[in-house]
Amino acid sequence: MPSDAGSIPAASKNLLSDMTRTQRIARPFRLAFVVAGTLVAGLAAFSAAQARAPRTIVIDPGHGGLDVGAKGKFGALEKNVTLAVSFKLKTLIEQNLAYRVVLTRDKDIDVSLENRSALANNNDATLFISIHANASFRKKAQGAETYFMSLTDMDEETRKLAYMENNSAALDQRIADEAKNDVQMILWDMAQSAYIKQSGRLAELIQQEISSDPLLKTENRGIKQARFKVLTGVACPAVLVEAAFISNPEEEQKLITDEFQTNVAQAIYNGLVKYIRLTSSR
Amino acid sequence: MTPFMDKKSSLALALCVVLAALVVVFFWSSGNERLRKSDGRPSASEPAALSDRETKNVSLFFLREDDGLLVAEPREIAADASIVHEAEAVITELIKGSRGELVSPLPPETKLSQLFITKEGTAYVDFSRDLIDNHPSGAAAEISTVYAVVDSLAYNFKSIKKVFILIDGEERETLAGHLSLDRPFSPNYSLIAKR
Repeated sequence: MPSDAGSIPAASKNLLSDMTRTQRIARPFRLAFVVAGTLVAGLAAFSAAQARAPRTIVIDPGHGGLDVGAKGKFGALEKNVTLAVSFKLKTLIEQNLAYRVVLTRDKDIDVSLENRSALANNNDATLFISIHANASFRKKAQGAETYFMSLTDMDEETRKLAYMENNSAALDQRIADEAKNDVQMILWDMAQSAYIKQSGRLAELIQQEISSDPLLKTENRGIKQARFKVLTGVACPAVLVEAAFISNPEEEQKLITDEFQTNVAQAIYNGLVKYIRLTSSR
Repeated sequence: MTPFMDKKSSLALALCVVLAALVVVFFWSSGNERLRKSDGRPSASEPAALSDRETKNVSLFFLREDDGLLVAEPREIAADASIVHEAEAVITELIKGSRGELVSPLPPETKLSQLFITKEGTAYVDFSRDLIDNHPSGAAAEISTVYAVVDSLAYNFKSIKKVFILIDGEERETLAGHLSLDRPFSPNYSLIAKR
């Protein structure tokens, strides 16, 4: 799309300079050419602007309010870590990308899982990123993992639809617009099933950045699929990032530092940028 | 054109052969694994089971500290004509935790309120609120809680295909904010350690 927008005005400019050099064309014709050229250029610019219309990324700081999330041995609460990382990620996106950012919560309050995904859909989100800190019954558990939705245990109909949506030949960009309406009508609660493929790619790119970050040095637990409630209804590519284990005292100490939080936000941001480049270059 | 077609069809044939071989290897190795499992572990307790028909050997799944995979721990439960009673015994033993080094993914305060199995093979397991109140939260912890229960039931009872988790007799959205509990879970044996 952007290459079209660039090439059309360039061509009309050449045409105009040819005409001024030769001066053989009568004035009215010249005027008509100029008008036509301007129109074409204007149209191209308009469509380019439309393609670049402000899009929205929804960031979801996990837990909040009475739901403190997981607790660390030294008293760190997951809900505070997730909010801090989300604020940093929001700033990074707003400073560097032409995207609007909406947070599912910007203070310490309870927000239901349904309202979090509804907020993404109501804002016509292009991407949804849920930020969490992990916990385990095991003391040693450590590292980062990124989740996207799983299709296991869904009914046959949903699975069939999801298969079609995720495997159609002319997928990727079109799916986001076309599938959305169908999915919203038929199974709102399973809207995410149409975006599994894109969500998987987004998860992969974010996980890659987190696990290879020399400043974070977190163990790579890879990308995983699970039927997480907060993801099931989201009608756009959606992932849930588990930055590190708050249940692991060593990682808990890291998670509460401004430095670690900044680095996590930066790594997620880097993954996002890679995903956006990958999908918009097509 | 004909040699090309021949080449193409022979390629297809070769592909078929490779595929078939893969399928055979897959089934053979998975069958072997099952053999190894029922072979290696309960060898000590099997004679006991034969002489004493009152007990049944089951495998309970707990977490391995090193890698977080589920590992089977053999246990004897009272044999019962009712699968429901045997399934209840499996869950009760699971809550009691590992007798060895394994980590229990269920808070010890948890109580099993009731259990029933539908004709279609879905087990409804109703836990007390203690499961939620004492849960550490966290996605990884939730996943291990759910699949320790689901895999332990499905692995030991062929008739149980899926497991629905209830809390205090009611459907819950999640245990602690992650995994959706709105429909029954199929077992996930990929979480079980190979060795």
